[in-house]
Amino acid sequence: MVRLITHNMLACHVKNCTKDNFPLVFSEVELVIRESEANYDFLRRFMPKLDWPALVDTARSLGDETLPDDQPEEWTDEQLQALHHVLMEMHVEEGNMTCRGCGHVYPISNGIPNMLLAEHEVGR
Amino acid sequence: MLTSSFVCPATVSRPSKVSKMPLYVLRVCMEHATFRIPSLLSVAQLYGFSIKFISEDADRGIVVIELDDDEDVDKLLERGTLILPAGEKLPPDPYAKPSSDLRLTMLSTASRLLAQADSYDQLHAYLHEHPEGLRPYLDKNFKFFVEGINHRIPSSRQRKSIDAFEQHGYTGKAAMKDPEVEFIIYEEYDLNEAHSHEKSHRLERDGQFRQVYFCVKMGESRARPLIQAHSVKTRSYYGNTSMEAEMGFLMAGQALPAPGKIVYDPFAGTGSMLYSCAHWGATVLGSDIDGRQMRGKGQGKGYVPGVYRAADQYGVRDRVLDCMTFDITRGPWRRGGWLDAVVTDPPYYRPPSRPYELVNLTRDLVLFARWILVPGGRLVFFLPTVSEDYDAVDVPVVEGMRELKWGEGSVQDFGKWGRRLITMEKTADDDGARPSFDDSEAVEVDSGAKIPGHFQFRERYHEKFTPRLQPSSSAASPGPET
Ligand SMILES: [Zn+2]
Repeated sequence: MVRLITHNMLACHVKNCTKDNFPLVFSEVELVIRESEANYDFLRRFMPKLDWPALVDTARSLGDETLPDDQPEEWTDEQLQALHHVLMEMHVEEGNMTCRGCGHVYPISNGIPNMLLAEHEVGR
Repeated sequence: MLTSSFVCPATVSRPSKVSKMPLYVLRVCMEHATFRIPSLLSVAQLYGFSIKFISEDADRGIVVIELDDDEDVDKLLERGTLILPAGEKLPPDPYAKPSSDLRLTMLSTASRLLAQADSYDQLHAYLHEHPEGLRPYLDKNFKFFVEGINHRIPSSRQRKSIDAFEQHGYTGKAAMKDPEVEFIIYEEYDLNEAHSHEKSHRLERDGQFRQVYFCVKMGESRARPLIQAHSVKTRSYYGNTSMEAEMGFLMAGQALPAPGKIVYDPFAGTGSMLYSCAHWGATVLGSDIDGRQMRGKGQGKGYVPGVYRAADQYGVRDRVLDCMTFDITRGPWRRGGWLDAVVTDPPYYRPPSRPYELVNLTRDLVLFARWILVPGGRLVFFLPTVSEDYDAVDVPVVEGMRELKWGEGSVQDFGKWGRRLITMEKTADDDGARPSFDDSEAVEVDSGAKIPGHFQFRERYHEKFTPRLQPSSSAASPGPET
């Protein structure tokens, strides 16, 4: 159940991979929507930590078009609900996350992504 | 009063008022005494009220505190894991025989103090002189409860103690069911005299209490029953490293978990820490180098990993943001400055991917927290240590992080070794640099320098903690000679 809020905080960490290592690109995705109660305070507090373009692109790649291109300065409840849906309710249960920089594939199974690297890939 | 370097907003003294602040009595369990004050302070800090300790001796089953008002008591009852609720079998009270004859029908939790004295004569005299405290309750249907702390009071004398309160002019009726007010009388005895189970000794000692407290009951702990509810024994998924529920909740409490906050365990294992933090409303994240710990045995499409099954059982599945497999020292986090707390029990007991000296692991953990926490965020972790070698220098000193320590700190003592619960706060306003986790540099032990108590902990654990040779004869804590 990789959620997009988590995905937005993850980058490829293969050794010497510093270009285009974020965001990771989803493929072969099995998406599950689980409704949950929104906490707008939480969302407002977290907004400055988000990489907005990456979030919008990723949401669109998964078929959700509700987010605007630019991060709103003033949020309506409707926009907050859309953000909540994208960040918290979309769960990637199966699939891959691929680095655009080095091509490394991080597989997701049963909702748990495997981000372990082989010994020759580690280091920054 | 308290001597401590721990300056917490909760202890900042208020301007003195003419009217005395209400005092409250907390009946607390004797276990984990060094966790008491930090736990209570954390609840106070989380909800933003002040708490002043009138008595805080570690050897007492009672803590007397001063609060601004009754509402604050409710917060303590919500989260006070160490506060005893009614009907709980007494924990290791040395006086308690391991048999069923010690059945307390009611153990108080939090109550408002009406009077406190050395003797019943003094207590009643005080109540006559200050009738205003008792007056609002006199016409209510009431119930009395008498409890000896570190002592069992014969029922005949319990009766006598209750009857003596008639002199204050009660007009309400005694009501065993649904009383409007419950009075509690605590007789507090010295712990060190509580060894004998002999009936003769008990009778001799009866009435020789140190202090008697007369209180109105306010409520019972709602946190204490959680320990039973979250017991590893009934958990749908757990491993041999799962933390016992009580310690899990004590640890979680130090992270100030609350709705809207994100708490992260980078050594999540089977997820014990995640459930207790999530219970108090936090959103939680976990990672572990060993994915099998989080998944459990099954696999294939549709399989629900163990951590999510247990989270379901506790009704907190939606608060588990994600669980991931990776090595925190090679972690994929994109940026710092976004987590409210890092809570973890570092894996000194299982082999990591590569040799990782615990001294380095601890230092790296603090550096990692310095980077990834929001300003004011907390790092809470266990530091295993060989008791005789421990010294305060063992907690890594990192710019931008400070230890919140009460007295000698919170220790779970297992004899030859123990583990200290370390609580640190991020004082820096910036994220700073991403930590390198570069553990290539050896830990240098100069002759004459203090060796941290957790140095080579894993090796020493397997050597059963035979004392190590101190580099200097002037070491502050000489071990037993071999
Ligand atoms: Zn890459």
